[in-house]
Amino acid sequence: MIEWSGLHSALDPFGPQAARVHGLWRFLWIVSLAVYVLVIAALAWAALRRRTPAEADPTPRPAAEVAGPALRTTIVGATVATVLILFVFLVVDLATGRPLTAAPRGGRGALEIEVTGHQWWWQVEYPSSRPDLRVVTANEIHVPTGRPVVVTLTSTDVIHSFWPPSLVGKRDMIPGEKTSVWFQADTPGVYRGQCAEFCGYQHAKMAFQIVAEPAEQFERWMARQRDSARTPADSLALRGQEVFLATSCVMCHTVRGTPAGSRIGPDLTHLASRRTIAAGSLPNTRGALAGWIVDPQSIKPGTRMPSNQIEPDDLQALLAYLESLK
Amino acid sequence: MTTQAVRPGSTATAPDEAEVRAALDASWGRPVGLLGWISTVDHKDVARRYLVTAFVFFILGGLDAALMRIQLARPENRFLTPDQYNQLFTVHGTTMMFLFAVPVMTAMGLYFVPLMIGARNVSFPRLNNYGYWVYLIGGVLLYVSLFVNSAPDTGWFSYVPLAGPGYTPGKRADIYAQTVTFTEISALITAVEIIVTVFKHRAPGMTLNRIPLFVWAMLVTSFMILFAMPWVATASLFLAADRLIATHFFNPAEGGDPMLWQHLFWFFGHPEVYIIFIPALGMISSILATFTRREVFGYPVMVLSLVATGFLGFGLWVHHMFATGIPQLGQSYFTAASAMIAIPSGVQIFCWIATLWVGRPRWTVPMLYATAFVVLFLIGGLSGVMVASVPFDLQVHDTYFVVAHLHYVLLGGAVFPLFGAFYYWFPKITGRMLDERLGRWQFGLFFAGVNLTFFPMHYLGLHGMPRRVYTYLLESGWGDLNLLATAGAVTIAASVLLFILNVVRALRAGPLAGNDPWGGETLEWLAESPPRPYNFAFQPVVQGRAALWSRTPDAPVVVGLRTDMREVLVTTVMDAAPDNRHRHPDPDRMPFVAALATGVLFISLVFTPWGLPVGALLLAVPMILWGWPNEEDNEKQRRQERETVT
Amino acid sequence: MSGIQPSLQRSTIDVAGLPTTVFGPRDIMWWGTLGFLVIEGTTLFICVAAYFFLWRNEATWPPEHTLRPSLFWPTVHVLFLAASNLLARQLSKAAHALDEHRTRRWLLVLAAVAAVSLALRWQDFLALNARWDTNAYGSIVWLTVGLHATLIAAELGELCLMYALLASERREERHLADASDVAFYWYGLTLFWVPLYVMIYLGPRLLR
Repeated sequence: MIEWSGLHSALDPFGPQAARVHGLWRFLWIVSLAVYVLVIAALAWAALRRRTPAEADPTPRPAAEVAGPALRTTIVGATVATVLILFVFLVVDLATGRPLTAAPRGGRGALEIEVTGHQWWWQVEYPSSRPDLRVVTANEIHVPTGRPVVVTLTSTDVIHSFWPPSLVGKRDMIPGEKTSVWFQADTPGVYRGQCAEFCGYQHAKMAFQIVAEPAEQFERWMARQRDSARTPADSLALRGQEVFLATSCVMCHTVRGTPAGSRIGPDLTHLASRRTIAAGSLPNTRGALAGWIVDPQSIKPGTRMPSNQIEPDDLQALLAYLESLK
Repeated sequence: MTTQAVRPGSTATAPDEAEVRAALDASWGRPVGLLGWISTVDHKDVARRYLVTAFVFFILGGLDAALMRIQLARPENRFLTPDQYNQLFTVHGTTMMFLFAVPVMTAMGLYFVPLMIGARNVSFPRLNNYGYWVYLIGGVLLYVSLFVNSAPDTGWFSYVPLAGPGYTPGKRADIYAQTVTFTEISALITAVEIIVTVFKHRAPGMTLNRIPLFVWAMLVTSFMILFAMPWVATASLFLAADRLIATHFFNPAEGGDPMLWQHLFWFFGHPEVYIIFIPALGMISSILATFTRREVFGYPVMVLSLVATGFLGFGLWVHHMFATGIPQLGQSYFTAASAMIAIPSGVQIFCWIATLWVGRPRWTVPMLYATAFVVLFLIGGLSGVMVASVPFDLQVHDTYFVVAHLHYVLLGGAVFPLFGAFYYWFPKITGRMLDERLGRWQFGLFFAGVNLTFFPMHYLGLHGMPRRVYTYLLESGWGDLNLLATAGAVTIAASVLLFILNVVRALRAGPLAGNDPWGGETLEWLAESPPRPYNFAFQPVVQGRAALWSRTPDAPVVVGLRTDMREVLVTTVMDAAPDNRHRHPDPDRMPFVAALATGVLFISLVFTPWGLPVGALLLAVPMILWGWPNEEDNEKQRRQERETVT
Repeated sequence: MSGIQPSLQRSTIDVAGLPTTVFGPRDIMWWGTLGFLVIEGTTLFICVAAYFFLWRNEATWPPEHTLRPSLFWPTVHVLFLAASNLLARQLSKAAHALDEHRTRRWLLVLAAVAAVSLALRWQDFLALNARWDTNAYGSIVWLTVGLHATLIAAELGELCLMYALLASERREERHLADASDVAFYWYGLTLFWVPLYVMIYLGPRLLR
């Protein structure tokens, strides 16, 4: 079971952006319900009411001839009401939208993240002018609570869309362009997001998690993420590192601190620190990881990661090594 | 050029009515057998074919959806692979939008517009036939590709770069591009037919302000088709070129832009839904008038609303792209426009309610469908105003909330009126009545099924379920509502089966309808059921807006058209004054052959660019033969010309 | 306007005296021609829209390392096409006058014009100084010029066919009305090319 505490529902907001939209939603559905009830009531009344002799006359006639001035006035009134309601809607919409798109207050204090979409995983980078302060990870984004986060988005292949509904509405990730969105998580928790633009076979299983934590916890996480992987002390894990470097893993994955430096697939330097694997499809447990390594195609058919034939002993060693990548 | 005066009396001895009908039966008849069948020039034959074929695609598209719903009924279901699911949802959307919804609406227009305006045929009868075969070939192409596991799989909207050469290998996206080409050619032909027919073939006396609301609706729709379809045709041309000859329209690495596709597609895509919706508005007017015994309230306002919807429909397309980072000002404009278009639709609903208010309703099955239209379309319309809001849309865009919205407007706003129109006009098309009781059951199942399937989807979308996903995790909590939606889909399927049963039984042994079983308002009820190939032996002169209701016993008719060949009356655009006579072609095989050649041309373009020059040369042959008159044509034309008095 | 048909027992409008060959908007086929022009014109307009859309993505236009189009032959061509409208007008007049002989002559002349135009169109392609597969700029200019070229090619075919028809035994009076529609279509065909020429060949120089 994958656990997440703050769901992935637009109706369960955990940040100011999503909360505003939630408020807008309430307004929208209440007004819509009222309009709906009124129109249906009018329809039902029109259908079922008792007719005057003129109205009950089966001789075909223009409705305009039978209708009195009251009916005409009602239609004009209904039209005016429609225009007014739509106008109010536009005003409320504008009032909601302005603060949502405006750059977050205290811009200097905003955390900047870059997320790049791939088929079917998320590349997450915390940029810095100092190379040793940069963080590269995948599928799991950590943010400090109570601080605005600006996410710059793009894609290396097809169009994806970044969407954590509990926190903020979606923004598309378009190859060749940069888009951006900002959000803020006020409550610590794990918030799920999912790709929201059809991107091929495994669009359905391209999820990510935003882990919101208090500032010191976040800084500790950042510090750990900056470290390269240490050579394992355990002999099994050391053997696992040899297996890793000798098989096709190195064709696609980076583990900083080893010669493996390919950026085709997710960065695995701190794989063991993540809650899920395979872009939120599986919990990060030994069993799930084993299944994923050996036969990813049966879990996410069409995924870019090929199935791997590994001897059972080697697999155990590899798993031990990967579990050491905290 | 002097205007020819309409002469009182004619040169030959005055024939009597029965003789005229017999002569017209002979000259307008169609040869028997397969050859006659493919060479028809009767607009009703072509329209019936479109209707049956479109309905078959409706069922096929529904089966696609049924398979999708089975897969989605439970989380992590393994009924379909992701590849199969992606093909199915693409084919479902492409079928419903291109192969069902637009053709069925234009088909109703092709059948009923000439009848309602008192004409004998559409303007270009052979072109009409050609358009049908082209449409059929396009649909067959799509489904053959599905059966060989090579159907398009990137959505009916086919975004790039996913559908481009880099990320969709093989021929799937090329098949999509050419399916679009076929259906787009067919739609454009129908549009030209309807426009020219309405402009030039209205019966004398049918001035602009006497044109039935359904005809106005089809006219507005046809103009929209004319200006919207080329955008998707060009987009698919660019896509095919990127894939076939390495152009870079959508390749960001070489100056291309994936957003170009989106703008081109949605500039077509938004009017497309109004192309589907506006004919339905015309159908509601027809049904309501007949079954309340009242001409619809507010004719000028109704016409203006149709026209306004048509125009406004072109100004909304960016609301499909709110998540792509559109600048604020643009967002505000498109929000306002998308909200504004609710006004003309609202006005129409108010006028219909007013008509019902002062009318004497008969609650036949068509009326049930017309009423259900308001109940269902309003839900879709209101959710539509909601998604016009950018902040709200950014949460529900590309989720099941939008799936709910679009199905409520398309099913409620178009398919319900369509079924109402089926029940209403079935007697005219076939000469038999559908069963009312079975119809009520069918209506009830359909209504329940649609709500059961699609209402829960509003909730699913708000709770995070994206679109176009072949499965979802157990932990998401989406399982129960998905199961409910699948149950609803089963209910819809049952209702469609009931409809087919009703049709089959009626065709076999339904009660005979007669010319005017309902007491209708418009001229199609003057003709026989089904109408003769020439519709009217003597075209009626129109005396009022409700052409049939305002018809006096001594109403004039048109005489003087030749009975020894297919001759139609051409009238003026504004006043429908008789202006000239036009000889229509006899049944001809060439449109069918030309359609086959067109098929070769565009299907070859799936595989090679050389298809263009080779296919074009191939197509030239039947096209030339089409235009080249034969001896019989010459003889008839000379006979017609000789007897003109100048 | 009505006459009494004794055996019909009702009032009638007798249209037997109306003409069968008419020109211009009175004629159904003219409307068909107009329909083609609207559809083709819209398609070419879409190419214009795509051209400007792609332009905004580039700092320079044409993009770096792509030459500007040459001007000589394209200018000759557009002037040639513009002038040919005078010839089309002659065709139209001949057809309206119901003069078969002159109509045939002008059809032949226009066919020759169309053939020359295709040869000049070849030069238009060369003058683009870019291939369709070089970059998006090359793609859009090639496609636009190419689409218009297919219209000229199809029109050449139609002119030859029309000529052959009017020279054959199978000709009918109504074909003269069709010939005048051909002239009408020719105006549209050339009218479309002028703004396209300005956009493609002059645009990069004018709109800096």
